[in-house]
Amino acid sequence: MTMDYVTALKILVIGESGVGKSSIILAFTTGDYNASFPATIGVDYKCKVMDVNGLKVKLGIWDTAGQERYRTLTNSFYRDAHGAILVYDVSEPKTLQKLNEWVEELQVYSTKKNIVCLVVGNKIDKPRAVSREAGQAFAQKHRMLFIESSAKTQEGINLAFEELVQKIIETPGLWESTGSSSNIRISNDERRQQEESSCYDYSCSI
Amino acid sequence: MEDVLDEVVSSEDLQKFEKIFHEQLHQGNITPKAQFEYAWCLVRSKYPTDIRKGILLLKELFNSHSEGKRDYLFYLAIGNARIKEYNKALHYVKSFLEIEPANQQVLALEHQINKRMEKEGLMGMAVAGGAVLAIGGLVGLGIALASKKK
Repeated sequence: MTMDYVTALKILVIGESGVGKSSIILAFTTGDYNASFPATIGVDYKCKVMDVNGLKVKLGIWDTAGQERYRTLTNSFYRDAHGAILVYDVSEPKTLQKLNEWVEELQVYSTKKNIVCLVVGNKIDKPRAVSREAGQAFAQKHRMLFIESSAKTQEGINLAFEELVQKIIETPGLWESTGSSSNIRISNDERRQQEESSCYDYSCSI
Repeated sequence: MEDVLDEVVSSEDLQKFEKIFHEQLHQGNITPKAQFEYAWCLVRSKYPTDIRKGILLLKELFNSHSEGKRDYLFYLAIGNARIKEYNKALHYVKSFLEIEPANQQVLALEHQINKRMEKEGLMGMAVAGGAVLAIGGLVGLGIALASKKK
């Protein structure tokens, strides 16, 4: 099985407990939905190879626990992230207010200065308590992308990841190609390692 | 980094939470939070001695602190899988799945553990197969030498 890709990107998903972070990732990587999703333990990891403008990009998606007990533990995962998805629940206004704290965490702990951020208002299949405009205003204030989604109906899910990755690819200096001619040998070794990995037999081939 | 079993703690994190734990240890009052945070770093260390220490701390928490049982079980499975104690790891996975049978994070971990066992089992067979070939070669050589002597 040969599956080449031009670059590997680290994507971080953060936000309050219960807003649907894991559901969004499950919907994106498998197309499935699970109505009773238990709280994520610590940090979970999924990967998926995505096509962007004809380029294959490998996404390593880090799903962090929203629970308070993990707050001090998960911030080391912000390191080297190329993109961040900040999720709130459109039926719970408090989760958007709380996103301010997550923005602060991101500012403190992310190491790439031009990291691309996307605000996602999830659960639009439910009765809405936060207007689209309020979500948009929050995103604009922090110079972030914005989208509304439903992991349940799949609406906006693929678009969210496409917009984020597109923006990362368009940001000069943020990412590195794995196949630059100056270090062909190294990049080939890396690629071989990655092909042998469990990722392709499991998460990515679904 | 391909799955959660490959993930390694940064030395800054390990030192940071080790310091907090030891400060509380000296004061004679270790909170479950500090113990869990330190254990969480230890089981993700690259050194088996750290991982074993983390497993001990998690077992102690599991028996004394009911609130975080699912978290303790999960990282007991991770820790054991990382030191290749796969049967113990699967035991913790099964205990977890008895409580939450559909937890996809734990089902994924179970899949990864099974895959590692399979991969290492196959590698073991390959080594054994190689040995059989080598012995066959030696016997063949012996026969050849013996027939030459005649």
